[in-house]
Amino acid sequence: MSFKRDKKEEEDSGGNPYQNLDKTIILQEARYFNQSPVNPRKCCLILTKILYLLNQGEQKFTTQEATEAFFATTKLFQSKDVMLRRMVYLCIKELSTLAQDVIIVTSSLTKDMTGKEDLYRAAAIRALCSITDSTMLQAIERYMKQAIVDKNSAVSSAALVSALHLSSTAPDLVRRWANEAQEAISSENAMVSYHALGVVAGSRKNDKLSTVKLVTRLARSPLKSPYALCLLIRLAAQLVEDDDSDAAQPYIEFIECCLRHKSEMVIYEAAHAIVNLRKTARDLAPAVSVLQLFCGSSKASLRLAGARTLARLTAKHPTAVAACAVDLENLISDPNRSVATLAVTTLLATGAESSVDR
Amino acid sequence: MVHTTMEGSLFEPTLYIVKGMCILDNDGNRILAKYYDKDVLPTAKEQKAFEKNLFNKTHRANAEIIMLEGLTCVYKSNVDLFFYVMGSSHENELILQSVLNTLYESVSILLRRNVERRVLLDNLDAVMLAFDEICDGGVILDSDPTSIVGRAALRTEDVPLGEQTVAQVLQSAKEQLKWSLLK
Repeated sequence: MSFKRDKKEEEDSGGNPYQNLDKTIILQEARYFNQSPVNPRKCCLILTKILYLLNQGEQKFTTQEATEAFFATTKLFQSKDVMLRRMVYLCIKELSTLAQDVIIVTSSLTKDMTGKEDLYRAAAIRALCSITDSTMLQAIERYMKQAIVDKNSAVSSAALVSALHLSSTAPDLVRRWANEAQEAISSENAMVSYHALGVVAGSRKNDKLSTVKLVTRLARSPLKSPYALCLLIRLAAQLVEDDDSDAAQPYIEFIECCLRHKSEMVIYEAAHAIVNLRKTARDLAPAVSVLQLFCGSSKASLRLAGARTLARLTAKHPTAVAACAVDLENLISDPNRSVATLAVTTLLATGAESSVDR
Repeated sequence: MVHTTMEGSLFEPTLYIVKGMCILDNDGNRILAKYYDKDVLPTAKEQKAFEKNLFNKTHRANAEIIMLEGLTCVYKSNVDLFFYVMGSSHENELILQSVLNTLYESVSILLRRNVERRVLLDNLDAVMLAFDEICDGGVILDSDPTSIVGRAALRTEDVPLGEQTVAQVLQSAKEQLKWSLLK
């Protein structure tokens, strides 16, 4: 009988078992977390419901309700089920901004962060750093430094990204981790290297001389990660913008070199930087021809990237853009409306009477 | 995040690239959504209004990318699901595109290539974990779908009967009935 009713209810809500969830009922269900032994699957479903409600954002949790749910969730640390533990971390992160006294889980998370289970460690670091304030940060500093240079790439990335988030509230403390981050830039793992570069560059934001050193060193030993290369191009471009003497020439050369990279993301990043930096139309030629190629791509995001950057160039170098008129005209009837609009406005800004006729 | 970059100038050297990610159903309703920049669409109301607008402009034309309300949104759809990744309009579109590819591919592997609403809702916990593994507070955390799925899909398959969901029990009952009739 109950099967039938459940089935009917599911059909009524269009087959979404999470529709029509009620906050008070879920919070009551969360009391089930107190039971021992823990039933991982059932608890996972309840946590999913809580996260779904938070994600929908319509039924707001009061501080008291969030705290209640948070404390119920902490009971689940007694289970060793990996999936459940991961959902617990996720819930901790989502509830941490709403609930009170969230630091109560610090010791549980520190234990997981330094434990043997790799699947716990990375996620535990991220959860821990989301509940930690700058006063507590010192207590976990040693573990964070270790995690940054950990062999496991997920652990290392988690620590680096968390450090980056923390640097907005505790810049001085995080700056002390820069040595470890520096070491992680040369990691074999592309994401670790990207995150490490982000942390190091962030810690040197106001120190031009050391940024110069960093960019000069890395430009010579090309990074493997396309994301990291994009970031390095941005850093190099900033140095060129601040200093247009001959000293900036090596950075320009590095960026131009990236135009021949195999990743489209890096090629575009380089072309965009050059278009915004170079002063004469002749210097621009290699970048413009890359953007011209993008305009003829089968991928809409490439066409948009190409057309948008060319559109920006019209103010500075209308002649350089005029050379791409034919490519832009092809885009007027583009199935993507953003691309078509950009092409039309660019042509109107650069076009001579002769091209209007065509 | 402070936006110092002006229109027509260089990209900002930051790791905070993703402004939001969401999955909508074929009525434009939110299944999952995360916004990472507190200056961009701070309230649930604004977010949902944006999602409606985004959905109306994109659900018919599968045009991959759109510029809307100061954001660049890349998107992809399948059967009754729509995947979106949002970034600032002063951002490298191809980076956003790579995040979308990661998101879609990870979910696709998680759902064993059945990328549709019903299957996604049955695996909502794993998809939530995947979301969390792809982007952390606006920073791209991982771009490799296999490693993301490896960390999100951790469920042991053999579940005792008492812990199966109603749908699973019905499904296995159906199978058994089918086979007994075929005999």
